[in-house]
Amino acid sequence: MEMAHLWGILFLSLHAMVPITLAAIGETIEESAGLFNIGLEGILLLGALAGALGAEASGSASIGLLSGMTAGALVGLLFGWIGTTLRGSQLITGVGINLFALGFVALMLTVLGAPGFHSVSREIQVPLIPLGVGSLSPLVPVTIVLAFAVWWLLRRTQLGIWIRAAGDNPGAADVAGLPVNALRLGTAVAAGMLAGLAGAYLSVDWFGAVTKEITAGRGFIALAIVVFSGLNPLLALLGGFIFGLFDGLATWVATYPGIKEIIPWQFVAMAPYIVTLAVVAGGIGRVRFPKGLGVPYLRE
Amino acid sequence: MANSAIDPKGQAPKTPVHGQILLEARGLSKGFPGVWKHLILDHLDFDVRAGEVHTLLGENGAGKTVIANILSGYYGKTDGEIRVKGKLVSFDSPRDGLAHGIAMVHQDLMLVGAFTVAQNVMVGLKAPPFSFRLHQVERKLDELVAHYGLQVDPRARVEDLSAGEQQRVEILKVLFHEPEVLFLDEPTSLLTPHEADQLFVVLRAMADEGKGIVFISHKMREVFAVSDRVTVLKLGKMQGTCHISETTEDELTRRTFGETVPDYMERPAVRSDKLAIKVSNLIPQGLEKKAPKSGFSFTLRQGEILGLAGVAGNGQSELIASITGLASPASGQIIILGEDMTKRSPRAFIEKGVAHIPERRREMGIVEQMFVAENVVLKDYRQTPFSRNTVLNHHEITAHAQDIVARFNALVPDLWDTECRILSGGNIQRLILGRETWRKPPVIIASHPTEGLDAKAIRHTWDLFLELREQGSGILLISEDLDEIMSLSDRIGVMFEGAIVGVVEGQDADRELLGHWMAGTAAQAA
Repeated sequence: MEMAHLWGILFLSLHAMVPITLAAIGETIEESAGLFNIGLEGILLLGALAGALGAEASGSASIGLLSGMTAGALVGLLFGWIGTTLRGSQLITGVGINLFALGFVALMLTVLGAPGFHSVSREIQVPLIPLGVGSLSPLVPVTIVLAFAVWWLLRRTQLGIWIRAAGDNPGAADVAGLPVNALRLGTAVAAGMLAGLAGAYLSVDWFGAVTKEITAGRGFIALAIVVFSGLNPLLALLGGFIFGLFDGLATWVATYPGIKEIIPWQFVAMAPYIVTLAVVAGGIGRVRFPKGLGVPYLRE
Repeated sequence: MANSAIDPKGQAPKTPVHGQILLEARGLSKGFPGVWKHLILDHLDFDVRAGEVHTLLGENGAGKTVIANILSGYYGKTDGEIRVKGKLVSFDSPRDGLAHGIAMVHQDLMLVGAFTVAQNVMVGLKAPPFSFRLHQVERKLDELVAHYGLQVDPRARVEDLSAGEQQRVEILKVLFHEPEVLFLDEPTSLLTPHEADQLFVVLRAMADEGKGIVFISHKMREVFAVSDRVTVLKLGKMQGTCHISETTEDELTRRTFGETVPDYMERPAVRSDKLAIKVSNLIPQGLEKKAPKSGFSFTLRQGEILGLAGVAGNGQSELIASITGLASPASGQIIILGEDMTKRSPRAFIEKGVAHIPERRREMGIVEQMFVAENVVLKDYRQTPFSRNTVLNHHEITAHAQDIVARFNALVPDLWDTECRILSGGNIQRLILGRETWRKPPVIIASHPTEGLDAKAIRHTWDLFLELREQGSGILLISEDLDEIMSLSDRIGVMFEGAIVGVVEGQDADRELLGHWMAGTAAQAA
């Protein structure tokens, strides 16, 4: 096998790593604060749609990404508001977000006149960084930097201490004078923004299209990776890369002449999910989660 | 800093307190909307002076905690005024209190288990969001630890610490802010007698530095060990403040509870040959490594109370789990009322007549999210008249729950509308006691049965236990509270490192010897 193939696989992997990792580190922030948002998949999907529409309306890829982030932030805000102030069930809210996104995106695609598929033209996609051996999306380095930044935020700042206290023992945080619900709401918005960005990346950058299956369970994979990482953003980055690697390998195997005839592509496409499952199953049991995770806080 | 134990009686300075008034409340009132018609606090006057330990004494529900919560900024007040060093103030949050030098150590531990001691202190730090002052905090804590002799490692993870150490972390947390007035809400409830004495040394040291300490308690022994002044509260009303040297234990007890608690409850001799529990060479799950090879062997007769004293964590939870069926023992045999119950299910134990009053009442005693009435029939709902052919009889359950609530004086807003979650620990315990004892079960396993109850309710519970004993129940009483063990038990053993030390006759048990057994220093005592 030539070096070019290796580079190809690596680049495919890094690109596949981005959306999962962005969503996972966002979820890591909010789970640290005690919110459990199972609606990541829905936010990704909405972010993909908003990103495409934003880019098309403005003719700018950056505006597209920002639109995705805004849409994600709004959904995150709604989720956080229900999960804190209204003391609603986070599980039900998350499921609701997923179902809404599924229906809404399908509807919008129909309205746009292309049921099932809406492509984003080449000019308004995120420009790739040309490297000698291939081209890389600027969101790859952004994702890696963000993972380190979030690790630093949670583990090495005063704000991180506050966020984690709100998640592990909201009563203690409250007694210490912290605004528990405001902290949680803030993390929900941040998590929504990151998931929205991940979604917009799918449509405006990586795939250059919106379909109603574009997320392909990546939101759920991200949730699984959060579990595997034990709320460590750096492990989430690693988990995202492992998924990406197998995704990249799968794509390569499915398209490489001589191999694609031997191994059915459907079989290969399964690989990243199975590997993720295996890794998560291996990781569970050793991690601990905040005691207040998923439980609305109420001062008695 | 001395670490020697304080003699429970005496040692408190006899000189009157002349220090500056640090914190003063006049006409303080508090009414909670809804459930309670009367005021929780009814126009109280209270002050704390520099250099004193001022004890707030009263039963549960007397309003001690409410005062502390209001004066530290956690609750708002309904009426009255608060002055700090003569200046009128109003608090909107605990941070306001801290800003005025007033801090509170809550009764329930308010710690983040996943954090280190220092990180827990950082939770309350007013610092820029992107700063990180861990090392400064650790260094300052090192100094505080050394200064007050608090014996906690600031770098230790909190969930790895014992209850006593966690209590000290709570105190460190507030000392970090260098408060002038410090409220401590029943800080000894989790401590061994020795640890409590150590705490009193620390409190005294803080008072000697000119801080005002407010110590909340309902234990008479502690009041005399540590106070300069004492204020008695009853149902939200002041019963007066006085100097500790001007009063006696009897007088305070009368003013607080209206009756005195005896050291040993007199009872008729009940001698049954029938065994309630016979345990042979039992090694409970989780104690395989810790317990001696021979395991537990003991018997409990019907009509007898066997008290097992000991500091938590010496195998009590594991033993209880074994003899209630919650965990299969690693080895050994459990015979209950003549039947081999080893490795039977919890339900088999319940149906055999084993009542269980568990230690962690919120987790094991009730289902917090369920209503009061549902919790009251939690173990009886399968039987008539509470259900027929798997259909619950709402009417019968209501009547039964009403009866239990009334007989055990539980303060419950509504049977079918109140989730047990919102009840106080004492009220939850009343419900559990009612549920577990109303059938007059032949075997009762009671862990800390009166923890969190006030003196009157404790007395009721003790009377109830003695009555059940006379009617033939065998009662295994497991408690850290030596007073309770000594007052109630026919025989007393001590749990230490997965084994039972001793078993002596209850009536002539020696407190000091039991204390040494609890601490594992029996050899020194001998």
